[in-house]
Amino acid sequence: MPKELKNITQNIMNKIHHDKIKMRPKAYFVIGSLFSFIGLVASMLTSIFLISLIRFFLRTHGPMAEYRLEQIISSFPWWTIIIAILGLVIGIWILRRYDFSYKINFKIIIIGFILAIIITGWIIDMTGLNNTLFRRGPMRGIMRQYFQENNILLNQ
Amino acid sequence: MMTSDYEIFSDEEMVEKIRSIDQDFYAVLIERYQNKLLRYAANLIKDKDKAADVVQDSFIKAFINLKSFDIKKSFSSWIYRIVHNEAMNIIVKHQKEIKFPDNIDFKSKEDINKDFERKEIVTKVEKCLEKIPLLYSEPLALFYIDEKSYKEISDILRIPMGTVATRISQAKILMKNICQKN
Repeated sequence: MPKELKNITQNIMNKIHHDKIKMRPKAYFVIGSLFSFIGLVASMLTSIFLISLIRFFLRTHGPMAEYRLEQIISSFPWWTIIIAILGLVIGIWILRRYDFSYKINFKIIIIGFILAIIITGWIIDMTGLNNTLFRRGPMRGIMRQYFQENNILLNQ
Repeated sequence: MMTSDYEIFSDEEMVEKIRSIDQDFYAVLIERYQNKLLRYAANLIKDKDKAADVVQDSFIKAFINLKSFDIKKSFSSWIYRIVHNEAMNIIVKHQKEIKFPDNIDFKSKEDINKDFERKEIVTKVEKCLEKIPLLYSEPLALFYIDEKSYKEISDILRIPMGTVATRISQAKILMKNICQKN
């Protein structure tokens, strides 16, 4: 039996008594969970926006595939991808860091997440919610500015 | 404080006492688990000194995060999971994993249960663990040495119960092929 083992209890209790280690308050974990939840929701919303935007571009730029592709690549809001990836990575990192007790299959979460994004993006696009958001909803200002910056015709 | 005075309390009840009454009760939990966890960590990292460090660090980490622990869950699985994580960090650092032997037939029709009854193999398991890959030795050690259920092993390793059963079954075959020959 290693010598250190005999002192484990003593070492740890000494650290506790001398305030070298302290229990993190419950609020810390609540805030951590809240941030990870917000991060995941935000990344999902961003990704949904991204998917529906891709479909929107494919429809608005006419039949020339090559031109469409160039247009998408040159005027694509790449920052949204960075936000989506960052949101996902940070969310999962926080969940993994603070979660010890629950069994979470992150492969299933990621696959489910990607599927949810694609399906929701497709539904939003099919139901015309994109256009509603663009013309009347809270995204109006952002979308209009984005389209103007990228010289995209508004009435297409 | 006599740790035997608190034997009537479950781990989860002790956690509640530590969080709300007195932090000194943590010593009771350490005493309950340190030997088991040391053996578990030593089986994983094959180094008793490092295993002692892993166990100590795990208890510190568990204490710091004790308020995140849900007392409806098993403290045992929780602390084993923390040790598992800490040990894996050490293993990744030192790359001591044993390579998987490629000449093992897992589809053997032999009745392995007949040869490997639970009580009889505990000693063999301990001696043999170092010779088989960690992927299989860990669930096997948890099952036979730490006497964890498939459900608990599934919680500790975060793999489905079916995978636990498969790995234990394959570990037995590995043991038979590798350890009984020596």
